[in-house]
Amino acid sequence: MSRRKRYAAPARILFLAALPCFPAALPAADEPVILFGQSAALTGPTSELGTGMKLGLDAAFNEINANGGIHGYQLRLTSLDDGYEPEAAIVNTRRLIEEEQVFALIGPVGTPTSTAAQPIATEAGVPYIGAFTGAEFLRDAEALPNVINVRASYFQETEEMAARLSEDLGFDTVSIFYQDDSYGRAGLAGLRRAVDIYGMEIGAEVSYPRNTDAVKLALLDLRRAGAEAVVIIGAYQPASTMIRWARKLDYSPYFVNISFIGSEALARTLGEDGEGVYVTQVVPFPEDASLPVVAEYQAALRRIDSGATPSFVSFEGYLAGRLAVEGLRLAGPEPTREGFLRSLKTSGEIDLSGFSLTYGMNDNQGSDRVYLTVIDENGDFASVNAIEPR
Amino acid sequence: MSESEKKNAGPASLEVPEIPASDGPDAQRRSFLGTIAARLSLILLGSVMLVATASLVAYFALQVTLNYQSRMADVDMPNIVDSVQIARQSTNLVNGAFRIISAQTRQEHRVEVAAVEQGRDALEDIIEELDSRSELDEYTQQIRLLLADLSAHLASIRDSAFRRLQIGETLTLLTAELAEINRGIESDLAQAIDDQGFYLVEGLRDLDASPVPLEVRASEGEFTVYRNLTVVNQQANLAVLLLDEMLVLNDRQFLPPIEERFFSALGNAQRAYSNLPAFAQLVTLGASLEQLERVGTGNQGIVELRREALLRQEQEQDSLVMARDASALLDAEISNLGALISGNALASSEAARESAANGIFLLFTINLVSAIGALIFGYFFVWKSLARRLTALSGAMREMSRGDLEVAVDVGGNDEVTDMAEALEKFREYALEVQRLNLVEKLAQELDAKNESLEATLKKLEKAQQQIIAEEKLASLGQLAAGIAHEIKNPLNFIGNFSEIAMEFGKEIEELLGEIEESDARDDIREITEDLGKSLNKIRDHSKRADNIVRSMLEHSRGGEGEWRETDLNATLKQYVELAYHSMRALNTGFNMDLATDLDPDIGPLEVVPQDISRVFLNLATNACQALDDKRKKEEGFEPVIAISSRKLENEAEFVLRDNGPGIPKQIRDRIFEPFFTTKEGTKGTGLGLSLTTDILVRHGGSISVDSEEGKFTEMRIRLPLQSARKSEEAAQREHE
Repeated sequence: MSRRKRYAAPARILFLAALPCFPAALPAADEPVILFGQSAALTGPTSELGTGMKLGLDAAFNEINANGGIHGYQLRLTSLDDGYEPEAAIVNTRRLIEEEQVFALIGPVGTPTSTAAQPIATEAGVPYIGAFTGAEFLRDAEALPNVINVRASYFQETEEMAARLSEDLGFDTVSIFYQDDSYGRAGLAGLRRAVDIYGMEIGAEVSYPRNTDAVKLALLDLRRAGAEAVVIIGAYQPASTMIRWARKLDYSPYFVNISFIGSEALARTLGEDGEGVYVTQVVPFPEDASLPVVAEYQAALRRIDSGATPSFVSFEGYLAGRLAVEGLRLAGPEPTREGFLRSLKTSGEIDLSGFSLTYGMNDNQGSDRVYLTVIDENGDFASVNAIEPR
Repeated sequence: MSESEKKNAGPASLEVPEIPASDGPDAQRRSFLGTIAARLSLILLGSVMLVATASLVAYFALQVTLNYQSRMADVDMPNIVDSVQIARQSTNLVNGAFRIISAQTRQEHRVEVAAVEQGRDALEDIIEELDSRSELDEYTQQIRLLLADLSAHLASIRDSAFRRLQIGETLTLLTAELAEINRGIESDLAQAIDDQGFYLVEGLRDLDASPVPLEVRASEGEFTVYRNLTVVNQQANLAVLLLDEMLVLNDRQFLPPIEERFFSALGNAQRAYSNLPAFAQLVTLGASLEQLERVGTGNQGIVELRREALLRQEQEQDSLVMARDASALLDAEISNLGALISGNALASSEAARESAANGIFLLFTINLVSAIGALIFGYFFVWKSLARRLTALSGAMREMSRGDLEVAVDVGGNDEVTDMAEALEKFREYALEVQRLNLVEKLAQELDAKNESLEATLKKLEKAQQQIIAEEKLASLGQLAAGIAHEIKNPLNFIGNFSEIAMEFGKEIEELLGEIEESDARDDIREITEDLGKSLNKIRDHSKRADNIVRSMLEHSRGGEGEWRETDLNATLKQYVELAYHSMRALNTGFNMDLATDLDPDIGPLEVVPQDISRVFLNLATNACQALDDKRKKEEGFEPVIAISSRKLENEAEFVLRDNGPGIPKQIRDRIFEPFFTTKEGTKGTGLGLSLTTDILVRHGGSISVDSEEGKFTEMRIRLPLQSARKSEEAAQREHE
């Protein structure tokens, strides 16, 4: 079978000779390429998430390309910046599908952007893999046959938060500080469900305007309500502003952030004020090399950027990349989009070196695991199993 | 007499009769017009002229029709097409104007304008063509005026719509700018209000600072700052909302009140902003408010542009209405024009039809005249003068060819046919002469042939006469013999009886001689007595033979007395063959033979005289047995066989008796049926058996034949009619009676 054979119309096989800007190790010029596309925030307040995902994907693709590719194909990623704006996400997604003719979309970042981009991909039948969001609408496997998620949902994260606050600390009330947009409201919905499960109540419900730092009056509302536990569904900048002002006011409830916060950026902006701030994670702790997949991730990361430090975000990107590789491997030497999706959904448990993902025809979410982490006195993350009472 | 003999005989034995010299028909005595050739030529000429006339009439009629048709095709039809085109184009123009008004982009506007202008140019071209083709100035002038009017409206719509598009583009930019300004104001104010609110509660503006005491921060000034910030926020938001409303507003009348409210909101916001203390007057917020004013009410701002756009929209609608009116007038004018053109076309069409009808009528008339002329000509010339006379002539010729030369040829008239008739008459007279001469010779020959035939018949008659005489002789001989036999029978009885008695006497004499003493005389007497005995023996034998002959003769003459009865002859044949065999065996114990039978049961019973037919069968079987016995005695190891068979023929039944005896020599085979012919030695045969057989069969209407090969076989074949001869006889007799 000729390796030059096209794997699926209209997705395009690129030749590296024509695209010299490829960042990772160059495959031989005549080898066929499978192209993936990413639309994510590479600039602006959410840029750490987009660039982190891109870094992880590049690491995973570079790793497989260095090992001879998959079925003879080299994998390539085209990333476009949408600045976390839905309109830009729409433009990028169209361009990736129609002009770049990518095989699949991978690693998009954010709920509002995914809300805008996913319908375009679904309409075109292009796989939409490993979105960096836990929004519930992407988990409807029957309505969205092209969507494959890696991570646990926001519902599962908020449920874990409620479980910890209820079981570890015995709280029966939890307050919420959320960003006033679809992401924040998704978190709010998740938390409402979660408190019902654990027989709790929502105390203060406060929000801040998207893309602003105007959080202080909301903080005052939280304090006035006497909130002891605050779930934060927001961006790292306003979240850290709010936490730092809370510290300033000697107001110290338990702060529990959701994974989308951007853990490393949060820790960095909080500095010494970060100690004791909890963040739920949907991927294993990226510093814990005892897990084979983490070790492989760290090696792959170093291979493309010796100065890069492991992060939850890039690790999630790496896992999405590894999943794509696995899907192509299962789809056989002449992969089609349908074959790729079908392989992932019908192959049972997919083991990514110790991190297992399971899909089915009615289940497009690979992992249900939520990990709890906390920022220590050095501003580093530590993996914990429970919230320690103070 | 053969054909060639005839030919040769004629000229040889006949003299050629004198042929009367003839000059033929007198060509000089009739005028040129009297000839058939001349008349036919004249008729042909007449026909050609009629055809030519008809063609000319057709040509002129078609020419006129064509002229009208081409006027239809070249002028009227294009005029109709053009008038329809004008109507369509003028409607297109108005629709195009509507599409220009509705165009959303410059591209669409350009396309629609181009389409409308092209349509208008096309319309002008059509009117130009219409003018050049026909005299319709009166109408087209009016149409041109209306078109110019329509074009003016279209131009105004075009320009206005274009300006409106420009405004729309500017407004789009302004809308985007407005959104940007709004985001800026919201972001700034959210932050500022958050900061000021927090400061009022906590006395803190920076994380690093210490809290400002309550009596300082809870001043009227700080609260006014907070209040003004919220007023700016509210009023700026309101101003943005009002501008948004203006952007989507479609009714120009509602513009001024919204504008008024915008002025008010913006004024409030700006006033509140200007009341802020310097530290709270964010540079970006102030700039945003100025931008908001410029975007809203500035030169070429949203209020002004929106007002112009709505005004233009209304004007365009007015122009469109006027364009529609102009188009309606144009349509009316075109309808008038169309009616005129249709009238012209109808007139042309009518004229063409009339011309065609005239042509058809003329052609019909000419054809009718031609047909009548042809009928008259056919009757008077072809039928009466030519065909009938030619038929008479050909009839005469056919008669002559059949040999009837007696009818004179005369067809009358005075033309080429008359010439032919006269020539034929001459020929007939000549032929008649020749025929007479031939007849005399033929009669002589026939006489000769009849003489010869008469001689032959005479000879046959003589022969038959001799046969009849012979047959008569034989018959009377038979009757004579029967009479004699009857008379001889008594003497023969005497002879036989007395010879027996005399032989008894001889024996007595011998006995007596024994008692007499021996002497020469006694010996002599004894010798004489013995001789006498021998003589007597011979007398007795021959008298017995004579008696047999006589009895046969009697039987011969007694034939035909038996009774007719239906009899199964197959059984009879077999029965009598077996009887003959047993008789033979009785006489001669050494005799033996095989009997083969192949009898056809289909024959069924025949009506015969059974005792006669039995005799026939017995005769034949006895003959066969005797012949076989003779052969047996001569040949060692001979196995005698008699085969009998029968077969149903068409009207007869055939019975065959075949033996493998010595056969009958060829030379006597014809004689065996003659009376008194016998091959049997001594007293064994009378020579009458087969003769008697023949008689019996003849009397039954049958026959007998023989087939034989010497030394191998003899086959006697008898045939009897299936229908009894007696019945045929009786039937014949009844008929006779």
